[in-house]
Amino acid sequence: MKRFSLAALLAAFFVFLALSVSIRQAVLLMVGIGMGMALAGARFGFTTGWRQLIENKDPQGVTGQALLLALASLAALPLLGVFPELHAALGPPSVSLLLGAFVFGLAMQIADGCGSGTLYKAGLGVPLNMGILPLFALGSFLGSVHLDRWLSLGQVAPVGLATELGTGGALLLTLALLAAALLLARAWVGPGRQWIGRRWVWGAIVLAVLATLNLLLAGQPWGVVYGFGLWAGKVSVALGLFDPSLNAFWGQEGNAQRISQTVLMDVTTITNIGILGGALWIAARSGPGADKPLTRQQWIVGLVAGFVLGYSSRLAFGCNIGAMLSGISTGSLHGWLWVPLAFAGSLVGVRVRRYYRY
Amino acid sequence: MASPRILQTLFWLGLVGFLGWDWAASPPVDLRQEPPLIAAGSGQVVSGGHCSMAK
Repeated sequence: MKRFSLAALLAAFFVFLALSVSIRQAVLLMVGIGMGMALAGARFGFTTGWRQLIENKDPQGVTGQALLLALASLAALPLLGVFPELHAALGPPSVSLLLGAFVFGLAMQIADGCGSGTLYKAGLGVPLNMGILPLFALGSFLGSVHLDRWLSLGQVAPVGLATELGTGGALLLTLALLAAALLLARAWVGPGRQWIGRRWVWGAIVLAVLATLNLLLAGQPWGVVYGFGLWAGKVSVALGLFDPSLNAFWGQEGNAQRISQTVLMDVTTITNIGILGGALWIAARSGPGADKPLTRQQWIVGLVAGFVLGYSSRLAFGCNIGAMLSGISTGSLHGWLWVPLAFAGSLVGVRVRRYYRY
Repeated sequence: MASPRILQTLFWLGLVGFLGWDWAASPPVDLRQEPPLIAAGSGQVVSGGHCSMAK
């Protein structure tokens, strides 16, 4: 599609949202489009960055991610302290989180994308990620349906670092932990490595600004997988396969309301659509990629991994965006538990990926 | 396997079809209940869905 036609379509969707849903949703669409352009334009891949560190001892991706987390924290934690309307991304430390994060980290290496990675690669037209998206949504929905059973295995109340330590203390601890993570990476890769490239720097800066805008406008941090689950949930209800009132998660007042109204009123849905559109804009400039065609076995394994990715993301209370970026930048302990478990999963995942010759 | 171009067309048709069906099948949006453009400083507690929520 030509860029002019695409711009006209996105502008028409913006006007439709502004007139028929809300101006906030229209503006959030623009934020999402910016996110998609930054993710796809900088190739800011969380999954790839981790894999390059593990397999090639290349620390540029994780340095870029640490920069993003630091910048987002420097903005989000003070804002949460000033504006009581804003929410942090607080997930409960739980057995569900530990297991879900490990499995998510494993599956994202096979599927070659986390939540945001699947979105922007689908927008770019990568065949496997386009195929994965509906299965990711189904997995995310089923994970939320079963969430109460997983939580019954053991949980404690969410811990907010700003509540425990104050804004300054939470910020200092967050920056110190990020520095410690980079020191660990330094110990792993050894001396003489290039630590960061230009695309990772501008990607981190743009994404941190857009994540902050998301927080200011929507009142909640950037998220991805809730919207996926909502889409599959709506289809399941329409087909008569699911009764939200009988479910612990979807029977809650807020979730019950969201599954009964148009998805265009949901914040994560709008930014997800924007990310797809922004990535499509980048693809319109650079043309289709020349990815190697996958074998039947690679397709099947990749699609199964996509379903598992969705299911485990709900158990883990988010993906690299909802749990890692938003959790850590808003001072949630669950974000810090998520990272080492997901990374451990990725250590296994890169070997599975190599076994299937992706 | 279908060509990437066909898959891309099917993908976008599926997404647009889903959004169109959702809009047609859902109750009309009450524009008088529109949320504030900027949540920060609005004085209104926001309650959107997020993946970190346990319920």
